[in-house]
Amino acid sequence: MEPDFLPGTLEMLILQTLSRGANHGYGIAQHIQQISKDALKIGEGSLYPALQRLLMNDYVIAEWGVSENNRRARFYKITATGRKQLSQEKRKFDALLVGIARVMETP
Amino acid sequence: MKLWNKIRNLLNREAFDRDLREEMRIHREMAEEKLNQLGTPKEEAHHAAMKAFGNPSLAQETSRLQWTFFFESFFQDVGFAIRMLRKSPGFAAVAVLTLALGIGTNTAIFSVINGVLLRPLPYKDPQQIAVMKENESLPNVIDIQRQTNAFSDGGAINAQPMDYTSGPEPLQIRVGLVNSGFFETLGVAPTMGRIFSEAEDVRGGPRVAVVSYQFWQSHLGGDPHAVGKPILLGGNSYAIIGVMPKTFVSPREHADVFISLWVTDPKTAVDRDVHFLHTYWRLKRGVSLEQAQADIATVHNSLAEQFPAVEKERKMQLTPLRESLVGDVRPALLVLFGAVGLVLLIACANFANLLIARGFARRQEMLIRAALGAGRSRLIRKSLTESTLLSFSGGAVGLLFAHWGTWMLLALRPEELTWLNGIHMDSRVLLFALAVSMLTGVIFGIAPALLAARTDVAAALNEGGRSKTASAAGHRIRRILVTTEVAFALMLLMGAGLLMKGFSRLRSVNPGFNPSGVMTMYLQLPATRYAEIPKRTRFRRDLLARLNSLPGVQVGMITDIPLGGNYVEYDFVIDGRPPIPEGDEPKVQTLSVMGEYFQVMQIPLRAGRHFTEMDREGQPLVAIANEEFVRQFFPGHDPVGSRIRWARDTGPPRWITIVGVVSDVKHSGLNQPTDPAVYTPFPQADEAWKRWMTLAIRTDSSFSGLVEQVKAQVWSLDRQIPVSDVQTMEQRMALSFAQQRFYMLLLGAFASLAAILAGVGIYGVVAYTASQSTHEIGIRMALGGQRRDVLRLIMAEAAKVTSAGILIGIVGALALTRAMASLLFEVKPGDPVILAAVATVLALVALVACYIPARRATQVDPMVALRYE
Repeated sequence: MEPDFLPGTLEMLILQTLSRGANHGYGIAQHIQQISKDALKIGEGSLYPALQRLLMNDYVIAEWGVSENNRRARFYKITATGRKQLSQEKRKFDALLVGIARVMETP
Repeated sequence: MKLWNKIRNLLNREAFDRDLREEMRIHREMAEEKLNQLGTPKEEAHHAAMKAFGNPSLAQETSRLQWTFFFESFFQDVGFAIRMLRKSPGFAAVAVLTLALGIGTNTAIFSVINGVLLRPLPYKDPQQIAVMKENESLPNVIDIQRQTNAFSDGGAINAQPMDYTSGPEPLQIRVGLVNSGFFETLGVAPTMGRIFSEAEDVRGGPRVAVVSYQFWQSHLGGDPHAVGKPILLGGNSYAIIGVMPKTFVSPREHADVFISLWVTDPKTAVDRDVHFLHTYWRLKRGVSLEQAQADIATVHNSLAEQFPAVEKERKMQLTPLRESLVGDVRPALLVLFGAVGLVLLIACANFANLLIARGFARRQEMLIRAALGAGRSRLIRKSLTESTLLSFSGGAVGLLFAHWGTWMLLALRPEELTWLNGIHMDSRVLLFALAVSMLTGVIFGIAPALLAARTDVAAALNEGGRSKTASAAGHRIRRILVTTEVAFALMLLMGAGLLMKGFSRLRSVNPGFNPSGVMTMYLQLPATRYAEIPKRTRFRRDLLARLNSLPGVQVGMITDIPLGGNYVEYDFVIDGRPPIPEGDEPKVQTLSVMGEYFQVMQIPLRAGRHFTEMDREGQPLVAIANEEFVRQFFPGHDPVGSRIRWARDTGPPRWITIVGVVSDVKHSGLNQPTDPAVYTPFPQADEAWKRWMTLAIRTDSSFSGLVEQVKAQVWSLDRQIPVSDVQTMEQRMALSFAQQRFYMLLLGAFASLAAILAGVGIYGVVAYTASQSTHEIGIRMALGGQRRDVLRLIMAEAAKVTSAGILIGIVGALALTRAMASLLFEVKPGDPVILAAVATVLALVALVACYIPARRATQVDPMVALRYE
């Protein structure tokens, strides 16, 4: 099931994934699914539009390359602007989480 | 950065699409491989990967959307709309034609309004110019200029016919007798030469003339050295000193040449009681019309005290220039504009109806689009694009219609509606058409678009592609639209009906004379050669004698011919009645006649006798009164033998004996009340200014050749006298209905258009209902239902819609037609006969419109109908 993300969250997850190294679309989706222990399954219907948004804002660049098992694939690489954006998003997200947690923990 | 990326993407769209497709394909393959590795059979893995991926084209579309500019989808929609419309040319043609009729009539009438009510007047700061409603005399004008502080300039003009004898044959032209402030008040400078100065505008000043551009072109051949050349006007030579610009026209009077009143007619210029000048007043900056009016009132009060006989009964009222120019046509124009507005609304209702019907026809397509992931807003946008495209096409064709329409207006236009002259299409008219098209497309496209986008995919698919709820809502809207159409059409028909009744009333008015077989023409004796009254009388007598020698004619003459627009009123006193304070005497229309005028016009004598040869100069003064005069001043008495005199006569009283009574004549117009009138014989009229006359000639044969014969007789007496305003009496009659006829024709055309459009609307709704209930009809027929019952069932629907529309329309008509009261002659706005008649007409239109589809429905073979779904 595709989770209902807060706006921008999916982009943040993608940037976080790419900050560990370049990856292709399938790889990004797999990574997020594995790390989240299947809690987050990214449908392609949201993944690719999100990637386009990142490309458009120059947070990532895309290049055709060869995958680990010798397949042609399009690799996405995070840019310097992307990293800056990621840290900003992280800060905002943390603040948001703290806020939500405070509300939820108050009986 | 973002913009730059977008543009780069736009330029490499194909490569981008290829990459995306490829990338997604690889994604699926990777997923498939992974499943394979986990041991899923190949076939199953493929399907699982496909399923996991979801809708690839949607994913691709959404991805692509991230990059697109907002207008790209717009162009896509337009392209799609064009393709769709080309596939259903019938629908497109009907929609475009309907809108074109609505937009076209509106644009045509708007171009009239634009030309008449909105056009800038060709004067400097025209909002600063005021007009005196009443005519003035020059001494009054001078007094106002001296004693007020509100005006920077005051201009006066009287346009008169004058002989122009510098051309190849004697011609009568219109000459404006003006004061020197005239051009300055209007703030227009000549294109060539100069205007006359205050110093020249005096008694005995130089004879100089300023000519209009049109006169310069047509009579002086556009001579660049015209300034300084002489022209002969009324027997005197005037030097041309200036040519006015092409755009210049005197506000309310047509004049070819302008000369100084002081120079040309010093006797009349000093006469305080000849109120014959139109006057224009330029307000000083910051002075309001009210302040100016107050200023004028002070002057008027002092004048009334000084000259009670002349000024007491008069008024001096200022009105803004534009108001005085278009004040009387404004109601007619607004009524016409309202009428075409209703036509447009009816056309729009039909348009919306068509769109709704089309929306249902394309229900499956919409559902499939929705099922494939098209969003609601995109569906609405698509429909709106289509309706706007249609409305713009309608607007374009409408402009063509409007172009023809204004051309036709000008062709049909009665000559006296001079205000129609300024009509043409300009940028404002185009903008109007554009705005109307835009609004039509959006406003009337939105309800159908919302309906069409109301797609509950699952429910609809279950119902076999027909969503009953949406179709019910749509049908309700269509019924409301058609009801409105019928109501509007009724209001328009009512307006047209009232005008028609008024017109027929006007046509049946007895003018008091028999116009058929009577030819009229105007002569004016030049003041230079006919200064003495006996000379004029001799000319008239000689002319009548010569004309009487022509075979088969009967001849008379009168100062001012009925329906000619002119008459002179005198204050008078009746012998033996108690004295009346000076200035309060009753007024009477006075006309001088000679020859067999009453016999020519066939105005019957009611009492006493006609004038004879013996009623001439030097004999006792006599007069013939009309019946209205008797009714007002001698009620219940025989006036023959009574005496009257003109109150303003100076010297010893000269009593005039009434010797006869003739029946009334509608002198000022068929729609005007009859004024009391007194006729006197020309030879006994000794007013210095009575130099003109209109000949009335009855002939028992055709008019051909008559005019030339008459001209020859006039010129055999005096080669220099122009014969002008040649018209049969029947033409004069026609001219006096012309305006009413024009409005009636226009409103009638709009109302017919409205009725036809409403009929089309009813037809559409009934045809739809009939096709929707084909199944039901089949069952009824199969179970032994009669055709008549089925017919009644369907017609009942139309009856409901029509009768509701008619009822609403009657209420609306009663309210709206009150605005037309000023256009109606002897008809009340709520005339019940007309109301009943137009309701019947509309009911008949509705009957025809619904009978055709209803009949078709009953002729369906029950077996076919039952299978129909």
